[in-house]
Amino acid sequence: MKTLEFFANVSIGQYIDSGSFVHRLTPATKFFGIVVFFIVMFATTNVTGTILLGLCVLAAALFARVNPLFLLRGIKPALPFLIILSILTLVFQSGSAGPALISLGPLSIHVATILALLLLFARFAAVLAAIGLLTSVTAEQEIAHGIEDFLAPLGRFGFPSHEFSLMISVALRFVPIVTGELESIVKAQASRGGDFGASGINPIRKARSYLPLFVPLVVRTLERAELLVEAMEARCYTGDERTRYTIYEMIRGEALVRLGLTLFMVAGVAFGLVFAKTLP
Amino acid sequence: MSFIEFDSAVFSWPGSATPAIRGLDLRIDEGEYVAIVGRNGSGKSSLLRLMNGLRHVDSGSVRVDGLDASDPTHARALRSTLVLVFQSPPDQIVSTVVEEDVAFGPGNLAIGREEIRRRVDEALAVVGLEAERRSPPHFLSAGQQQRLAVAGALAMRPRCIAFDEATAMLDPPSRRAMLDLMDRLNAEGVTIIHVTHDMAEAARARRVLVLDEGRLVGDASPEAFFAGENASLAGFGLPPAVILARKLGFKPRICESPAGCAKLLAEGIEKGLLVPLPGDGPRLEAARPAGEADASPPAPGGSDAAFSLERLGYTYLRGTVNERRALSDISFVVPKGSIVALVGHTGSGKSTILQLLNSLALPSSGRVLSFGRDPREARTDLRAMRMRAPLAVQRPESALFEAYAADDVAFGPKNQGLSGRALVDRVKTAMDRVGLPYAGYRDRSSRSLSGGERRRLALAGVLALEPEALLLDEPTQALDPAGKATIMDLIKSFATRGGTVVFSTHSMDEAALADKVAVLRGGELLAFGAPADIFGKGYNESWGIGRPWAAEVAEILAGLGHGLGETPLAIEALARRLGSKTAAEAVDGAVAASLDAAATGATGGEGSR
Repeated sequence: MKTLEFFANVSIGQYIDSGSFVHRLTPATKFFGIVVFFIVMFATTNVTGTILLGLCVLAAALFARVNPLFLLRGIKPALPFLIILSILTLVFQSGSAGPALISLGPLSIHVATILALLLLFARFAAVLAAIGLLTSVTAEQEIAHGIEDFLAPLGRFGFPSHEFSLMISVALRFVPIVTGELESIVKAQASRGGDFGASGINPIRKARSYLPLFVPLVVRTLERAELLVEAMEARCYTGDERTRYTIYEMIRGEALVRLGLTLFMVAGVAFGLVFAKTLP
Repeated sequence: MSFIEFDSAVFSWPGSATPAIRGLDLRIDEGEYVAIVGRNGSGKSSLLRLMNGLRHVDSGSVRVDGLDASDPTHARALRSTLVLVFQSPPDQIVSTVVEEDVAFGPGNLAIGREEIRRRVDEALAVVGLEAERRSPPHFLSAGQQQRLAVAGALAMRPRCIAFDEATAMLDPPSRRAMLDLMDRLNAEGVTIIHVTHDMAEAARARRVLVLDEGRLVGDASPEAFFAGENASLAGFGLPPAVILARKLGFKPRICESPAGCAKLLAEGIEKGLLVPLPGDGPRLEAARPAGEADASPPAPGGSDAAFSLERLGYTYLRGTVNERRALSDISFVVPKGSIVALVGHTGSGKSTILQLLNSLALPSSGRVLSFGRDPREARTDLRAMRMRAPLAVQRPESALFEAYAADDVAFGPKNQGLSGRALVDRVKTAMDRVGLPYAGYRDRSSRSLSGGERRRLALAGVLALEPEALLLDEPTQALDPAGKATIMDLIKSFATRGGTVVFSTHSMDEAALADKVAVLRGGELLAFGAPADIFGKGYNESWGIGRPWAAEVAEILAGLGHGLGETPLAIEALARRLGSKTAAEAVDGAVAASLDAAATGATGGEGSR
């Protein structure tokens, strides 16, 4: 532990309001967009389809005036993990059926393995880009509202979409709170010579060395949750009917976007299923 | 029928054997401005929670506006009539956008959206946060967050707002803004209930209630209350004006502000009842704090410095979109054995400096030397360095993790490799020094200690390292007056034993006890020097930090044509400048009585403001 720096004051996502058409869509539509993306993604099991889907996301990013390279920045911290995964795949899938490209003694690399790896990378990049795009065009509170509005029709069947949204909103509020508490606790213990996770290979001892962090973190998080609950109750929150402050008006052409997304979902799923075996 | 009525109310927190409120009777009328004072744990918070139905009495009754507060069906009516504003600003924020947060309360009342909009606009205008309406609240300063909490309360259109130590975590300008807001709201007819540890704040109310162990032990106007030789005052402290009056041997009285007090003093001087000693300042001053003034010139240990900061700069999150410059070009030296106070607004860089001194952060530019060592040199053992000058972060008690008090204190020395007899000795010494005797406290559960005790236990954990220096980030924050005094005594006794202390504070009276004061704003060092300079000749109004009460009064007095020479920093010094007690006693008894009469008249006029 050389220096300690935390992100207590960082908001989630990379929302920058450029006022583009995509930015101005209602949060429900944006959330519908990400749902469509995941549905098509699950229906698509080949590399070609995944890359095409990824390109659609990048096109949407250009349309929203968001730098596509910016969306892919998130891949960098995950690269070591992806590379280790690739090596493991190469080693353990060697010797499987199909034509071998290269053979090095017991190790042989097959076309199928290469394709599997490509799919892994393509999927990872597409998911990152899609989530990055959503958080780039949607402010933090809109995410909660988007989920609420999107799920509102389920209210007819008793689904508590408003409570669900408030839950998400409070959870988002707690990210900086918990980070801030952890930061303060790590600093307090480090100042007293605390050295975390570094002592030896004995797993029990190693786990024990984290106690000075986890015990107070859990206690403080619960305390702060209690304070927040009290503050909410003091302001008349009862879980009953309440009025939401912000409502969103559909902008011109938004209905078309929703229709387009629906058609895209149907076409995407069909494409994924039909070409699942025929395309690489 | 009164607005708020308590009748033999008894209340215990779940799981607690002793009741927090024991048979309390109380009447508060609509439009009153009431201060509630009392030690930590005296039942103040419980009282507020009973009023708006967050908690219910075990026996007796609480009625607000005729409604039974223990009846859950009244919760909504009750909580929109009497709204609470809590101590910690960030813990009251529910939403991720300012205006949404203001709308949270009225939204819960399920009233129309248009009406909510009107209320939000109005509430934001009252607290002056219109410009921030679309901002995420966690980017606001603590003072702004607290005003946001008040806006959230106002949007409920309440008839009463109860503030639960709502100024305790604010810097002086934010605190003043909050107090002015209370006055304004009260003038508009809102009942104000203000729980506070600050007696000068309590003196602003029209009525002071004192709680002790869940009982109401005092109920009077501030004038009558602070003037009386009330035994229950022990441990609560007194407003500075009252302390001054007592030192001067006059009947104590309440002054609303330093200006009001200076005016009374000027009257006294003009009538020849007080004898200012302008020329004689410095010598008297030196005689004041035993030994402290002698220790302030170059440290006894010679010329060597405990810390030296050379053009120090620090940037958070360098290279990201959230990059923020926290410090630039800070240079000063902390001599060994001295006490240095860091003052400035929230966000001025005080905490960052302390973390750099502790090597928790490394400089982005410039250099910091801690006992001659540069943390950026590769061979420096940062861990050893941190333990040599450990940092107690804000609210260090949050990091207590062991079930028993002594085990927690032992964490540091164990990390230094101590065990057995030596370890026990270290823990014992540290606990004894903070006033939590090892014999009585070692097996106490750290959760069962009071707020002040937990703070001291956390400090014992740092003292047990036997460090050469202590770095303390707002060590007295949110403690009651007795708790604050204990911490300041701890700092002084550590320095007397040759230790170095750097601490941050929002209280200029505490800063005046240091050998050197560093004034910070926006990450820059505005001034560094002895308190007598910083708050005297060298003082600059534009720093926005305020100054010790005595210095403020003396300065206004000088403006009225009664200069006192060198600026006094403590009330004792101010009293001496105005003529010692013996001088006051020399004044003919009849004349003194007439001053009392005159002053009482003046105070009466002021009280009706």
